[in-house]
Amino acid sequence: MSPGCDRLRLAVAAIAIGLIAIAPARAHHSFAPYEPTLQIKLSGVVTEFKWGNPHVYFEIDATDPTTGAARHWLIEGASTSILNRAGWKFNMLKPGDKVTVIVSPLRNGEPAALLKQVTLADGRKFSNGAAAGTATIE
Amino acid sequence: MRFKLIVAILTAAAAAGAPVLAQTRSAGRNITGSWEVYPLRGEGFGSGVPPKTPIAAPKPIPEPPLRQPHLDQWRALQAQNAELTRKGLPPPSSGMACMPEGMPGMMGATFPMEILETPGQVTIIEEAYNQVRRIYLNATAPAPEDAEPRYAGHSTGRWDGATLVVNTVGVKESVRFRNVPHSARMRITERIRQINDEMLENQVTVDDPEYLTGPWTWTWMYKRWPTYRIEEYVCDDNRYFEDPTLRYQRLRVN
Repeated sequence: MSPGCDRLRLAVAAIAIGLIAIAPARAHHSFAPYEPTLQIKLSGVVTEFKWGNPHVYFEIDATDPTTGAARHWLIEGASTSILNRAGWKFNMLKPGDKVTVIVSPLRNGEPAALLKQVTLADGRKFSNGAAAGTATIE
Repeated sequence: MRFKLIVAILTAAAAAGAPVLAQTRSAGRNITGSWEVYPLRGEGFGSGVPPKTPIAAPKPIPEPPLRQPHLDQWRALQAQNAELTRKGLPPPSSGMACMPEGMPGMMGATFPMEILETPGQVTIIEEAYNQVRRIYLNATAPAPEDAEPRYAGHSTGRWDGATLVVNTVGVKESVRFRNVPHSARMRITERIRQINDEMLENQVTVDDPEYLTGPWTWTWMYKRWPTYRIEEYVCDDNRYFEDPTLRYQRLRVN
């Protein structure tokens, strides 16, 4: 079966579901678009830090570990309350800060990734809460 | 003589105070404060402090007793959603759109919740989505045809001994806990009671003569978190959208 045919079948299935499920209830959004098991390490410089809900995001300029090329990444965190409980602070990052992150990238290849652990320039490490999963690489 | 007089005064004072006390809470019980869902959800979510007295986790929420063809449709939907999620294409959800969970989902306490007892009213504030429900004590519930549809519905309650019995009607039909459809005649009954000083039990029963063949019942439990202050949760930076072709939750990267 061709990938196109597979995609069509998926689209038909998704539309069918859409007709039944007008408003399925679920907290926040799913982390399923990210690679479920793959984790990579990126080191770079923060360009933006957005402390907000439903989730916290920051952006970094980092070297792609596979191609070696410079790439701009969007990193997804958990909600502000989860990160506060995990020891974060709303002004913990700022543009220009050097960070190292362990993340799971999007499955579709776009430059965004789900955070597992961030290491700040001073060496402090922070998790992203239990729902996002823990770092399995060093 | 003097002793008798004091006893009489105290008795009268207690009798006079009793109706007020009954309206606010049962003597010896106090559910005001912050609570987190139990079993504890782990690092970053809650206190991480287990209860002093080990408590068994409640049973998983059972399948809803839906009438046919709704039951078959619901089972098919759940299976399809699980399969799409496994493929990395999670179906759109209310949470993706930053919409509140409503009732009964908000009582699942995704994040900690705060309960406030004031005269004639119990108020429950769920941190996720800043959700609030007000339970009016010893009040009359609106008839289904008079209950304006709301996310949290309309809740009335009374103390049955040490158990707060809450009746909720008027939940918007678009609010679907676990994707289960319901009618305007859905009624949610909660029996909320403290097991001990730090554990709270909520026995939930959903009745709906149009969609359910019988009561749909489960239990949620919460552990007191004395030091926790509920945080603000305004969902104003949502970067997920519904992919126009495949209709899954997709992240806006740029």
